[in-house]
Amino acid sequence: MVTTVPTAGQVAGRRLRAARGVVGALLAIVLVAIVLAALRPSGTAGALDPASAGRDGARAIAQILGERGTRVTVARNAADAAGASSSDGLLIVTRTDRLTGADLARLAAAPGDTVLVGPSQRVLDALAPGVEDAGEAFSSTVEPGCPLSAAVQAGTVAFHGAHAYDVPAGAVGCYATGDASRLVQIPVGSRTVTVLGGGGPLTNEHLDEEGNAALALNLLGDRSSLVWLVPDLPPPGTDGGDRSLGEMVPFGWRLMPVGLAVAVALVALWRGRRFGPVVAERLPVTVRSAETIEGRSRLYRAHHARRTAAAALRTGARNRIVPLLGLPRGAADDPAAAPEIVAAVAARTTHDEGTVGFALYGPEPADDAALVVLPDLLDDLERQVRDS
Amino acid sequence: MAVTGRLGLLALLGAFLPLLVASWWSLLGVWAVLAVGVAADLLLAGNLRALRLHRDGDTGVRLGETARVALIVENTGRRRVRARLRDVWPPSAGAAPRVVRIDVPAGERRRVEITLTPTRRGDRDAVTVVMRSRGPLGLAARQLSRPAPWRVRVLPAFPSRRHLPAKLAKLRELTGTNIAQIRGQGTEFDSLREYVAGDDVRSIDWRATARRGDVVVRTWRPEQNRRIYLVLDTGRTSAGRVGDVPRLDCSMDAALLLGALASRAGDRVDLLAYDRRVRARVEGSSRTDLLTAMVQAMAPLEPALIESDAAGTVSALLSRVRQRSLVVLLTELNPAAIEEGLLPLLPRLTARHLVLIAAVADPRAAEMTSARGDLAAVYDAAAAERAHAERARLTAELRAFGVEVVDAPPDRIAPALADAYLALKAAGRL
Repeated sequence: MVTTVPTAGQVAGRRLRAARGVVGALLAIVLVAIVLAALRPSGTAGALDPASAGRDGARAIAQILGERGTRVTVARNAADAAGASSSDGLLIVTRTDRLTGADLARLAAAPGDTVLVGPSQRVLDALAPGVEDAGEAFSSTVEPGCPLSAAVQAGTVAFHGAHAYDVPAGAVGCYATGDASRLVQIPVGSRTVTVLGGGGPLTNEHLDEEGNAALALNLLGDRSSLVWLVPDLPPPGTDGGDRSLGEMVPFGWRLMPVGLAVAVALVALWRGRRFGPVVAERLPVTVRSAETIEGRSRLYRAHHARRTAAAALRTGARNRIVPLLGLPRGAADDPAAAPEIVAAVAARTTHDEGTVGFALYGPEPADDAALVVLPDLLDDLERQVRDS
Repeated sequence: MAVTGRLGLLALLGAFLPLLVASWWSLLGVWAVLAVGVAADLLLAGNLRALRLHRDGDTGVRLGETARVALIVENTGRRRVRARLRDVWPPSAGAAPRVVRIDVPAGERRRVEITLTPTRRGDRDAVTVVMRSRGPLGLAARQLSRPAPWRVRVLPAFPSRRHLPAKLAKLRELTGTNIAQIRGQGTEFDSLREYVAGDDVRSIDWRATARRGDVVVRTWRPEQNRRIYLVLDTGRTSAGRVGDVPRLDCSMDAALLLGALASRAGDRVDLLAYDRRVRARVEGSSRTDLLTAMVQAMAPLEPALIESDAAGTVSALLSRVRQRSLVVLLTELNPAAIEEGLLPLLPRLTARHLVLIAAVADPRAAEMTSARGDLAAVYDAAAAERAHAERARLTAELRAFGVEVVDAPPDRIAPALADAYLALKAAGRL
């Protein structure tokens, strides 16, 4: 017989093919993890925080403002910010995604001019009505291209990713790409709201690029006091208090369960439709013949009927032994024949008459253990008589 | 009609469409497309109503063997029909294959072979034939159920027929070579032959001796044309299972062997199945078709969960059978049932007939008798000893009435009963 020994390469290839599924699954998991990591919001805990010295913190600009005589107050929630703001001061609101509906209402009622950093449409509707979010603008460095002095003096600014906004009538838009501007100034009632598309120019990392520092100082440094709001995450449950969960779910996602329900119903129809009837059949009764014997055995046991059990075992053994002794069959049940039988059995076995007499005619076993060994003794007697 | 898994799958995929197009129209569109597909499938699927069904094949099968039943599907329509077909039988009919594919062009017919391997005795009726033809898109199917009646009778297995040759050899020995020398109750005159030393002088035929001038003896043989009446008890005691089969089936097996043997021996065999009324009866069958008649009569018998009426059995027997017969009662040696039912009536029966009681012993009881080891086993053994003693006492009581008793486990009851019959025949007691 010829056997072909596979080469190491073939073995490795086979193993690789065998492990293909596992490797594929692992690759898929890694890929999904990478995608999820990339899609994570880039903001970190200390983003645009005047106390943070991190790359996306804002300690540099806060310190510069402080040195130039502007009193910077950091507020951690909207209520504090609204309380600290004054009509001649300036309020800058960062991380606007953390603001709840109630927070927005408080801020709208607060006095003084306001700067919003990268607000979403929700925040705009509350604090700068008329300004429309036009989505992300990608070109990083832009010319001002507007009459706003703060922007004109600062010149080119590096935004590093920011939202751009459609400018309504009555407002001034700067740093535009197409129709959308990254800096919008709009009068709202008695105050002026400035919308800055992104926090990039304010961060420690990018403050020194292009005219970023100039723009920041122009926007924030012309007042004596500045309230810097970096809202903490609202406690769970308070967010969206004015919006139900259902309203937050996109419409398409709300439709899908309806489609799924119909699909499940169709699958149920498919599985539920039988291919032919279920056939009922009269089955014969199943009664095990030995059941009565087993039932009687359990009754004996339940009532510890040692005497009855021992008597049955002894009678059975006597009925088998007596014919072997050459005695008439009736002698087995005849008490008068007992001494004769005991003597005959004792003569043919290694047991003495006392043991044989106990085995064949003895009293009720004293306990369960005695009952358990009785049949063994009877078996031994029967075997010895049979062999003799 | 029926829908397919494909429809469910498409609906499932369609359910995700609103994530791309967030509008009611996306869902409604999917549903509309599917509905149109289903309608088209139902319209274009093969026309099952044009199919005619015919049956052909076996009508009887021995238990344990396989019957073939054919289903002929005729397409009277104008279009080809492709369908899946299920011939529905009761589970114990053991029909296979469960589902077959058929493809019948217009105007033609196709034969579908179904094999039945029944697991129980009795009549098995075809329930119905279900057909399902799918549309071209595979979204929906037409389904139709049509009756196609057919009955297959499942006959007793008669496993003890393997003992028949041996018993027949014994019978030939009895009737042919070992000619009975002594005249007895169940013997008849056979022939005259020359006296040889050792022959019984009482059998010398003096008239023939005078004629021949030589000593001639008569020979006798067991009498033929005796009647044997087999009585199957189908009451509650026959329902008990010994091993895996009901006691009734073991009794039937023994009855069949005895019937086959006795009919070959030239005796007339009748059968009666009785509990509270006559369940089956075979009387006056000719030698050749006795076995067929017996298995046909036994096939649908089932044990009834009622106490057998011994008085009814005895009176039915006495009214039917005038001639002296061997009455074989295939029942169970149940002390309660026998002592209260049969025992008081036995003298009436034994007065006119020879009675043989054949009972199937439970091997489990014997097993339990030798159970040892723990308390439960010892109590089991005690209970089994007690049952054994009762059975022995009952047997002795029955023998006192002049009744023959055969008590054997299921695998030996049939040959034991045949042996008992042969012994009776040899002894000329029939």
